Amino acid sequence: MKILIVDDEPLARERLTHLLTEIDDTYQLINASNGVEAIEQVNAQEPDIILMDIRMPGMNGLEATHHLMNIENPLAIIFTTAYDEYALQAFESHAVDYLLKPIRKDRLEKALNSCSKLNKVQLEQLGLQNHEVTYRTHISVHIRGTLFLVAIKDIYCFLADHKYVTVKYNKEGILAETIIEDTLKSLEEEFNTTFLRIHRNALIRKDNIEALQKQSDGKVLLKLRGLPEGLEVSRRHLSSVRKIMKS
Amino acid sequence: MVFTVLIIGELLAFILTLAPLSVAQQRWNDLALISLFIQWNGLMCSSTLCLLRPLIKNQSPQFIAVSSYLSLLIMITLLSLLTFYIMNVYSITSIISSTSHWEFLLHNLLIGGIISALALRYFYIQHQWRLKVEAESCTKLQLLQAKIRPHFLFNSMNSIASLTRTRPDVAERITEDLAELFRMILRDDHELITWFREKELCLRYIDIEKQRLGERLTIQWHTNAIPDDALFPALLLQPLLENAIFHGIEPEVNGGSIIVSGELKAHQLKITIQNSNSKNLVHRQGNKIALKNIQERLQSHFPGNASIICQEKDTIYFAIVTMPYQQKPDE
Repeated sequence: MKILIVDDEPLARERLTHLLTEIDDTYQLINASNGVEAIEQVNAQEPDIILMDIRMPGMNGLEATHHLMNIENPLAIIFTTAYDEYALQAFESHAVDYLLKPIRKDRLEKALNSCSKLNKVQLEQLGLQNHEVTYRTHISVHIRGTLFLVAIKDIYCFLADHKYVTVKYNKEGILAETIIEDTLKSLEEEFNTTFLRIHRNALIRKDNIEALQKQSDGKVLLKLRGLPEGLEVSRRHLSSVRKIMKS
Repeated sequence: MVFTVLIIGELLAFILTLAPLSVAQQRWNDLALISLFIQWNGLMCSSTLCLLRPLIKNQSPQFIAVSSYLSLLIMITLLSLLTFYIMNVYSITSIISSTSHWEFLLHNLLIGGIISALALRYFYIQHQWRLKVEAESCTKLQLLQAKIRPHFLFNSMNSIASLTRTRPDVAERITEDLAELFRMILRDDHELITWFREKELCLRYIDIEKQRLGERLTIQWHTNAIPDDALFPALLLQPLLENAIFHGIEPEVNGGSIIVSGELKAHQLKITIQNSNSKNLVHRQGNKIALKNIQERLQSHFPGNASIICQEKDTIYFAIVTMPYQQKPDE
């Protein structure tokens, strides 16, 4: 059996490694130190069980789990945490597997034997009850069995087409785009502090606004840093764009 | 509450029986009858209040007091009338033979009015007292949590559990550090310690966190300007370091650094703790309590002469403590 240990603290990973080896030395153990690495490891190694810490830098355990729900064969995930009263309440009330640090060997053994796959309802409830204001740090895209992550900070804009939403982002200095399943409306609600709706079909990153250009046909185009073509601004949203450019 | 009502009622019955100082043969029979009447009254009144509770729960205290009192008086009137009727029918008139219908009612209302006013007042005070005890125990817990995050305790325990196998000597040191910190935390608040000792405690704390965070945590001390004998409220700075780690270091994959600097000018000490504030910060409410606690402690030790200010400048977060330089008296 392959087990992925996700924790940002080396000592915590070390301890889990020791305990797991003692329980069964045939376990294959893999490590990751945050959510992003965890997803990379899932893609590369396909573990059976994940032991997931909650508070981690980069991408926390709940968000990583959220992205992992989109792959074809959801994994069994056991959360680990030292102290988190809100999360604990949520775990209790939705029968999610969790372990408290310092983790006891017998508890760990029991959890490994009986852990179940998390379902979407449980996960949504966890997100709701976790009183921290959480928004995703990444958008996940599922392409041919592999989970790709796009960091929110690299994204220029979301553009809605007839059916899909295209995201344009900076992929190591090159402009790239991909199709995602989220709707523009839900994205707008989630990222309203960093993104702005400028048209029925466009949501753009506020920091990247460069200039407004008035066309001869009366349309107004918005130039974004890093994006060659301008995006149309609808009359309804023009004032909010101007307000942000002034401030 | 019902039990208390029963006791009060029974005491009242005793008083009423014993009060007419005449030596009556029938006294103990009277007690039985009076008890029956009063307990009947007490229980009915309690149930009235219970039934009334959902209706008046959200009203003002004055309204609740007046409406409960009136409903009690109405209940007593009804029961008195009923009792008088029953006694007439079965001719059990030994106690009230000499009194008329109206006199009986008036007596009962007066006694009932006085006793229920006393009882309501008693329950009110008892309730207030219970609220106060709850509030106090809550504050104590918050005070403790203002000084130390439960996170820190459990994470440290986890580090120790891990180190025990691989590096027992470090585990031993961390346990000693933790013990020293907690001994100080659990102590009385009113003590002042020297800067030398305060810095030592901060270093112990950082030592524990460094085991956990490794390379991600770096800290620089520019505090040579603070004299070793300057007096500090014990563990004043530790919660600020803890905040810096929680908000500035932990949310960053590559960690960050904390800079502690100190100045002494015109007998005022100024200590600044700065950390880069993470952009990935998860905004969590309710952690102002540590700052509030520090403010209160500064205020109680150096009234009007010390302060803590927090400010944010371009993603750098500053916590600045200013307080008078007091020397440790020679012993």
